[in-house]
Amino acid sequence: MSKGIIIFAHNNRQIDYIRMSILAAKLANKNLQVPVSLITDPSTIDWMKESNIEKTVTETFDNIIITQRPDDTNNIRNYDDGKYRVHAPFNNGNRCSIWDLTPYTRTLMIDADYLTLTDTLSNYWDIDSDLLVSSKYNDIQGSERIGYLDTHISETGVEMLWATTVMFTKNETTKMFFDLVAHVREKYKMYSDIYRFNPIIFRNDIAFSIARHIMNGYQKIEEPNLPDIFSTIDKDVLVDVNNSRLKFLIAQNNSDDYIATTVSNKDVHVMNKFSIMRNYDRLMELT
Amino acid sequence: MTFGYLIVVNDTDTTNYARLAYTLALSIKNTQKEGFDKVALVINDKTRIEGFNSTWVFDEIIEWDGAVHWDGRSYMDELTPWDATICLDADMLFLRDYSHWAEYFIKNSELYIANKAFTYRGDIVTNDYYRKCFTANELPNLYSFYTFFVKNSSLAKEFFNLQRQIIKNPELFANNFLFKYKPKVVGTDEAFALASKILDITDNIAYSLEFPRVVHMKGNVQNWPYGADDCYDHIGFYLNKKGKLKLGNFEQNDIVHYVNKETVTLETVNILEEIAWQKNK
Repeated sequence: MSKGIIIFAHNNRQIDYIRMSILAAKLANKNLQVPVSLITDPSTIDWMKESNIEKTVTETFDNIIITQRPDDTNNIRNYDDGKYRVHAPFNNGNRCSIWDLTPYTRTLMIDADYLTLTDTLSNYWDIDSDLLVSSKYNDIQGSERIGYLDTHISETGVEMLWATTVMFTKNETTKMFFDLVAHVREKYKMYSDIYRFNPIIFRNDIAFSIARHIMNGYQKIEEPNLPDIFSTIDKDVLVDVNNSRLKFLIAQNNSDDYIATTVSNKDVHVMNKFSIMRNYDRLMELT
Repeated sequence: MTFGYLIVVNDTDTTNYARLAYTLALSIKNTQKEGFDKVALVINDKTRIEGFNSTWVFDEIIEWDGAVHWDGRSYMDELTPWDATICLDADMLFLRDYSHWAEYFIKNSELYIANKAFTYRGDIVTNDYYRKCFTANELPNLYSFYTFFVKNSSLAKEFFNLQRQIIKNPELFANNFLFKYKPKVVGTDEAFALASKILDITDNIAYSLEFPRVVHMKGNVQNWPYGADDCYDHIGFYLNKKGKLKLGNFEQNDIVHYVNKETVTLETVNILEEIAWQKNK
């Protein structure tokens, strides 16, 4: 059975996802010891060539899989960088295509802003479960910053899964699952009426949550999951990287009051992509 | 040994308990295996069920008006025609075969009272919004909506005699035992819990089991981020023609205690009647 990691990278004008994915790939490859492949699009490839990182990309990734850029022109979201805010397209609507695109039998999909700093996820390759998704969000500040809609897709709806890390075996069951995710994406407005969530931005987390709920016979079923997603929100700022210690300024209860915190020996989802890029060289020293 | 379910209702012109009992009996007939599908109805006025199409779903109909409101249930041990009985609240629906629960209780218990409830999403109810009296007075968390007992059990007899005294003398017992938080009404749940505590038999009659699983649709225990007087202001009740029930987005497989008496409409009854007729034709 072949094992490997997939990272999606579709650049927008504000965020260089492909550079970020190099970092995520190198960290994942170092700590999980499996190859990493990239799924990207022609315009991102053009940018890669223009910015002279083609060689690094080729050396980093096992495969570079070029697909159509998802049509997410109306999927605009706010990207915070500490106290500053940027609006940009959220090009993530094609995660459901991973089943068709992955070259691996057992695939781990991670976000480009997920920094794999441990080998924790290595323990999940051989678990007897076709599909593993993270079911919980673990905020760096603690439960105070976790709202109801971080744990459920709506007030009365199903529990939220976190599609930041997803592991699956390529078979008929997971094919059905990803087809269902694609269907939910296509009929997102309809599902927002049925599941009572806000459809303003397409979120893979919501589509994955609904698909799994349907696959489980519209019931909550206890099943194995990937570890909680240890996260910093985009209002938090990564300010320093020292050996394997990441120093963050944490926005206390989402306010403008910040407190310094250090993280080490943990995989971290750093939602503030701008602060990843500011610390890019220091982070690359960890690879 | 005979086994059956028991439903005790007190119906008036302003209530529809007879219809609720009829609907529950239909759902029992539709889902339980033979030998575990007997239903006895205790009702204050037999004429209140005369208009229903399929009164055969009641294997026994007992007219009795010895008590008002829910107090009748405190006589369940005296009213039941069965050797072993599971007494249910009328506002419940059976959605699959639970006969194996009954089989377990018949083999292993003289008296067993449900001691947990579930939300429609399958989580255990932990919110004590409606059970402040239980928390404050450290009462065992009993739910009378599913009570198993054996008629000739001395344990059951002692328990039911005491809970009847509590129902008949609520002020006396509340002043002496529930003074940390006096309930507005000492209902069956409070009486059961207090009787169990006084007799110190909770470990015998409410030990931990994976069943019975009853979904309790009271508004404020659903783990929602807001309070809700009525669940159905926020989620739908969808019964399909096969008798499968969804509450909101969740398919239900456990017993559903739907609480809101208006939930069961004529359409609900007709669906369950159709299934019963198909099964028994």
